[in-house]
Amino acid sequence: MSDPLLKVAGLSAGYGDMAVLRDIKLEIARGEIVALVGSNGAGKTTLLRALSRLIPSTGQINFTGRALDELTPDEVFALRLVQVPEGRQLFDQMSVEENLLMGGYRRPDSAAVAADLQRAYELFPRLKERRRQLAGSLSGGEQQMCAIARGLMAAPELLMVDEMSLGLAPVIVDLLLDTLVAIRKEGVTVLLVEQDVFSAFYVADRGYVMESGSIVRVGPAKELAEDPEVKRAYLGI
Amino acid sequence: MKPALKFIFAALVVGGFATVPSWGSAVLVQFGINALILATLAQSWNIIGGYTGYPSFGNSVFYGLGGYGVAIALVQYQLPSAVGLILGVVLAVLFAFLLGLPVLRLRGHYFAIATLGLTEVMTAIVSNLDIAGRNVGLILPLAKGDTLFLELSLALLVVTTLAVAWISRSRFGFGLIAIRENEVAAAVMGVNTTLYKILAFALCAVFSALAGGIHAYWITYLDPGSAFDVSLNVRMIIMAVFGGPGTIFGPALGAFALAAISEILASKITSLASIFFGVVIVVAIIFMPRGVADLAQNFRRFGWRYFQENIKAHRV
Repeated sequence: MSDPLLKVAGLSAGYGDMAVLRDIKLEIARGEIVALVGSNGAGKTTLLRALSRLIPSTGQINFTGRALDELTPDEVFALRLVQVPEGRQLFDQMSVEENLLMGGYRRPDSAAVAADLQRAYELFPRLKERRRQLAGSLSGGEQQMCAIARGLMAAPELLMVDEMSLGLAPVIVDLLLDTLVAIRKEGVTVLLVEQDVFSAFYVADRGYVMESGSIVRVGPAKELAEDPEVKRAYLGI
Repeated sequence: MKPALKFIFAALVVGGFATVPSWGSAVLVQFGINALILATLAQSWNIIGGYTGYPSFGNSVFYGLGGYGVAIALVQYQLPSAVGLILGVVLAVLFAFLLGLPVLRLRGHYFAIATLGLTEVMTAIVSNLDIAGRNVGLILPLAKGDTLFLELSLALLVVTTLAVAWISRSRFGFGLIAIRENEVAAAVMGVNTTLYKILAFALCAVFSALAGGIHAYWITYLDPGSAFDVSLNVRMIIMAVFGGPGTIFGPALGAFALAAISEILASKITSLASIFFGVVIVVAIIFMPRGVADLAQNFRRFGWRYFQENIKAHRV
């Protein structure tokens, strides 16, 4: 952890007068899968929005050694900090392939984009079968695949996946988690934001636990999964 | 039709228009100028309404500012008309930037209503400006014959259509379409949505202002009511939507078709013309809500079933 990819310190953010996040400290090293868990309303999505600069915040955010505070969302995206938003936010009236190409929208090198498209299809063969189909007509699981693949098309350094498991069958969640591991092998760092504590800690190296706007626990995922406090609060045992 | 074929067809239409003065009557030439200007307006509305998905009712403000640019330059300062056209474009683009910034934060109906308000506000403001002749208006010096104006408006439509053709295959255009389809997703995918929307609005402003300038110069009279006319804005939207929003040739096609229909109706059955025009629009919305361009593309495939499918799909 000598030179973290993302370093957040003293971050506070909110909506209007209402403060949601208080003094967040978070570090992600290159090649890690980090899980950020917490119950409804803990502020997980707000944190992601602050990192993507969709909402203003105070405190420090450093990504690959650059301060993000003054940047706009499209500039952050250009630094390859890419978000897979909650609820997938696909372009419903466009085909799967067009959705994926939109992910590579900012990249000038069309040969590399084409290569990444093939790579995405290898990762998600289902998407290749359905590449001419409208994204809105896919099943929930396929839509989530499409959203993750679209994020990958932006050649991210850090991929932030928000509520990946929401409304999906456990078997699909397992498949997607395996894909995240495969993605990490290719050098993409992953920040997985989840309500489903168990699946998040299953693939993650380290975890952060959030509660009402603050980080309350940090540690290796295996330890957190065994932590009686975490178990009591989120698993109900 | 294949794209290449479409462009050849479009070139033939342009050539056809250019020869109208040599064989057509004066009435036909005047109808041609009007139709070309309406087509330009529909086409520039297509950029913000069709591609970006922001149904603007404020484009007639750009049109009016373009007209006033020419009128003020000619009447108050005796400048050449080209300077007036540029002045009009500058005014319209300034307006697009200044008011686009707040107004483009709204979406859907809210955006439509806010822009509708802009038109009314401009009428009120201009009616009180001495330089614009208050609510009496300005009378412009008489210009050369109709042929010149037909050529000018034809050239403007061609340029506007080329701009739309460029947009439809450029990175900028993909950004606009992404905004139309899902603005949140566009922002997350690194599209600078605010900048793109304002640029689209400003591009609209350029072409609409030029159309307004040419029209004012041709009619040689301008007052606030006719310059900032809401019904003109409604007409350009109907024409663009009738032709097919978000397509390259649809809006121009729709403008020609509807201009011709309303002209014929107005000369045959004067008093009932507007009712019939309304009926045409209602029927079009029921049977071909995605416009003539979509009809041309899919009628071959589906035959008469095309209309049935549309009724079913849109539950009218």
